[in-house]
Amino acid sequence: MIYDLSLNIAYDYPAAVKEARHVLRVRPRELEGQSVRSTRVTVTPQPDEAWRELDFFGNALDQLLILPGHDAFSVAMQARVEVRRALPDLEATPTVAELAAAAATARDCGPAGPMHFLGDSRMARKSEAVTAYARDLIDPASPAGEAVLAFACSMKADFQFAPGATTVDTPLEEAFARREGVCQDFAHVMIAALRGVGVPAAYVSGFLRTSPPPGRPRLQGADAMHAWVDVWLGPDLGWRGFDPTNGVTVLDDHVVVAVGRDYSDVAPIDGVVLTAGSQKTSHSVDVIPVGELASEA
Amino acid sequence: MPRSSTADAPTPSVHDERPSAGLLRGYRPPAGVFDEAVDDMGGVRPHYRPLIAALAAMDEPERERRFSSAAQYLREAGVYYRVYGGPERGGEDVRAWPLAQPPLIIAQQEWTELAAGLAQRALLLERLIADLYGERRLLTDGVLPPALLGRNPEFLRPLANQAASGSPLIRFIAVDLGRGPDGRWWVLGDRAQAPSGAGFALENRVATARAFPELIRDLKVQRLARFFQKFRETLNALDDGRGARVGVLSPGPHNETYFEHAYLARYLGFLLLEGGDLAVHGSSVVVRTVDGAKPIRVLWRRLDADFADPLELHPRSRIGTPGLARAVRDGAVEMVNALGSGILETRALLAFQPALAQALLGEELRLPTVATWWCGQEAERDYVKTHLERLSIARAFPQTVEDEEHRRPLDLGMRRTPSERLLDDLANDPGNVVAQELVGLSTAPMFSEGRLEPRPVTLRVYLARHADGWSVMPGGFARVSSSTDPLAVTMQSGGRSVDVWVTSDRPERPVSLLGTAQGFARRLPSAPPARAADNLFWLGRYVERAEAATRLVRLHAARLAEGERRGPLEAEVAELLAGIGVEVALGDPAEGLLRRVRAAFETASRIRDRFSPDGWRVLGDLVDLMERRLAQDEPEDLPGLASEVLIRLSGFTGLVRENMYQFTGWRFLQAGRLLERGQLTARIAAALTRDEPPEGALEALLEFADSRITYRRRYSVTLSRETVVDLTVLDPLNPRSIAFQVNGFKTLLDELPGMRRGETPADVVRRAARLQVRLATGDLTEVNELFLQRVATDLGDISDLLAQQFFSAAPGVQTERSESE
Repeated sequence: MIYDLSLNIAYDYPAAVKEARHVLRVRPRELEGQSVRSTRVTVTPQPDEAWRELDFFGNALDQLLILPGHDAFSVAMQARVEVRRALPDLEATPTVAELAAAAATARDCGPAGPMHFLGDSRMARKSEAVTAYARDLIDPASPAGEAVLAFACSMKADFQFAPGATTVDTPLEEAFARREGVCQDFAHVMIAALRGVGVPAAYVSGFLRTSPPPGRPRLQGADAMHAWVDVWLGPDLGWRGFDPTNGVTVLDDHVVVAVGRDYSDVAPIDGVVLTAGSQKTSHSVDVIPVGELASEA
Repeated sequence: MPRSSTADAPTPSVHDERPSAGLLRGYRPPAGVFDEAVDDMGGVRPHYRPLIAALAAMDEPERERRFSSAAQYLREAGVYYRVYGGPERGGEDVRAWPLAQPPLIIAQQEWTELAAGLAQRALLLERLIADLYGERRLLTDGVLPPALLGRNPEFLRPLANQAASGSPLIRFIAVDLGRGPDGRWWVLGDRAQAPSGAGFALENRVATARAFPELIRDLKVQRLARFFQKFRETLNALDDGRGARVGVLSPGPHNETYFEHAYLARYLGFLLLEGGDLAVHGSSVVVRTVDGAKPIRVLWRRLDADFADPLELHPRSRIGTPGLARAVRDGAVEMVNALGSGILETRALLAFQPALAQALLGEELRLPTVATWWCGQEAERDYVKTHLERLSIARAFPQTVEDEEHRRPLDLGMRRTPSERLLDDLANDPGNVVAQELVGLSTAPMFSEGRLEPRPVTLRVYLARHADGWSVMPGGFARVSSSTDPLAVTMQSGGRSVDVWVTSDRPERPVSLLGTAQGFARRLPSAPPARAADNLFWLGRYVERAEAATRLVRLHAARLAEGERRGPLEAEVAELLAGIGVEVALGDPAEGLLRRVRAAFETASRIRDRFSPDGWRVLGDLVDLMERRLAQDEPEDLPGLASEVLIRLSGFTGLVRENMYQFTGWRFLQAGRLLERGQLTARIAAALTRDEPPEGALEALLEFADSRITYRRRYSVTLSRETVVDLTVLDPLNPRSIAFQVNGFKTLLDELPGMRRGETPADVVRRAARLQVRLATGDLTEVNELFLQRVATDLGDISDLLAQQFFSAAPGVQTERSESE
């Protein structure tokens, strides 16, 4: 599947801000099963300094500095990405117990090494309640791939998708206790749950193709960036995506932008501005399947 | 460390006919521990004999006199530390430094051996961190289990490859030691994030030298200055000439050890900086000064790494510098120690010492480490579970802010004590837990109520990395427990500290950090950071405001005391006071004054490196005085209190005038005072010289402006509106007139950075010049309420323009994050 992606994020400040620093993590990643044909990032106002680099996990960063006073800031990213992921054989995975044992001793220190995704991170911390929930649902003797997919499906059933119920700072224990939240909360709960039973889990931010309702045109800008979970399924299969918000494995509907231990590693925009008072943001996303249109034509 | 020797027999107490016997009578170290001063047979160890003999030769009053001269030094130097959570002074309690006597003495021979072991340890740590932020072979080779890196919150991924430059990532560390019953020193832990206490060790030495000058000389106690001198040279040498000075990066005045940061900066001639003073421009790190951005190359970091950069590290940090992590990656700045060096404080690492030493040094460690079991391994975990009664359990990894914040009662609805949580983790997340052998610390003599008592002691020793390797500070920071219980000794739970004397065979050459006169060139201080100048300016304003408020309170109280009814003048004064935050009508005016004085003291506390300890102490004493008065039950004598406050405030301004180096920083302080005084005088004059001023208003204005005597000398005894206005507003020779303030301010302004003559004048200069002319050419008939109100407004605008010109870089930072759905 080929997608044309566009992301628009805009900030309005109540009073002019100056010396604004931002880190953007908005460029889709080049991965096995995902190839990036083109990417363009436009920032307004024009930054005084801009650097591009890769972070520890291999995500693309744009570091920006805008010195003069400005009362609005916006980022536009456009990309064309082709996604063709192989269907994983979830039955042919080690048991959860075997997987946990292998993960605990895996010596790979690189960005995909399981060691980075087992312990507490800033926003995804193990909690007894969440671990207990995971123990209830996950049988250590079952194949890890199946168990994780079943877990994602249970989460979809048990949790209410409720935009506005939580904020970017809501601790996952709270979202868990209320059994509601947005994709970020779903992902953090699933990560904490899997780490609680010794399964390495990573946070993925990216885009999701939303199918239009029958007979109606697709709503432009109705979606925001999405989040899901990458799970390590052993040395042979490696990392595979699972989407607890939708209860599915990640195939060709998902486009990966950044991978980290939790949201704080992959936030699309981190910024520090010299200002007082709050600000307004808007955030819109389009994911248009080019390949599909072409094949239908 | 062995817990105790098997001998259960109590150590015999000292009984001897020599004079020292009296001093040590009843000195009985607990059974099975090592005592620093007294051996198993009760005899005084040779290296302690001169001290014990000297102490025994003194009578108690003399000892007291000596101890109090040490304490007096610490008081005068303003040595303090903060205890979190106390109610006083904004939620934190400031305590005087708890120095105890006598010092801990270590003989040279023993020290030489200890120092060699410490230098070896420092090299181990240097290589360890180079591997963790480099090739990570210890992990791929299986020397360390994956979790030690993978789940370590001090492994900072944005800097994961920072060892590639080959430059040492640590240059100043500390090692905590305790002596076991076997007489050996054992390593209890390593400090590499931002080891505290070296400055306090210096102050302990200076204070103790006051108490025992001849003993220090006779025992040839090794000096500390040489160690710091070399460290300073090393840091200065790291600067390739691009940076102005070495900076000390501090978390700021709310930190427990801020005093030490200010003290060391002053002692070493480094620039005391906070995160907000720095900015990353292009590929360099700069200090925001009142003279623009000045590059800096070397930062001695006293701020926890996670807070150093809100952009790439802790996003909620308000005390960091956005972009700093990238600047480090670019090699723009040398961090001492590197961001991420806190990983060396991981307790779990202590469980892998022999293997680490073999892998990194190819030899055995000279100094043993306290026995530690990391519970992430099954066999170790089982051992710990069955031996809990003789072990202490602790966190395996350095603690983070989130560790505290996120363990909420929400989690299963329970709130648990730290030790309950540890036991929970031992069951559910054992990798988060280590167990350590309970430590039977040695005891050292400490005076308590006139008698020497054996108290458990730990020793923190400092090491610095120079071009030719590691060197050890000959001395250290020793903590003695306030009880005889040999459990953990910390300052926060009421422990005390003593000086540490390392004796020597040879007399010491005196060393001073002042340097020699060779190649002398008088150098002006560099421009202060904008934040420091901002604080100095506001300190000037607050001190002046406190003074004005006090004068008005005195005036108000005196008139009421003289039996005047509350007339229109009292109402006017009350309103003026309310305008500067002092309630006389409804509240207690003394409380309002206390608030004003506190504002000045707190501002001064933020820039302690910028003026003399005496000045800071005068303000602190003033706060204490007022707090004591307010705590008394009987209503205070307001005019009397006001007079005392005024005397102390003039003590402060006198110190500033007489002692402070009169350069840029001083100019900002003075500018603040002049602007505040001019503005308040204008406001008060406006209120008191209305068309129909209330009864007594002219006297009140003269009184406020402290100009009664001048007035009497210059004019007749009867008051006239014209003469009073002339004296308090226009007269350029009266140091209390508005014109005097404006003229003085303009003169200071012209000397500030970037205000060169001939260039387009800045707005602040233009406005000040215009006001100056208006006052110089002012005519008594036009000086009315409106004129004075305009002067007050002008002065307010000038203050804002000054701030914009010089302090605007001092940020109100906000972080933003986008939301996803």
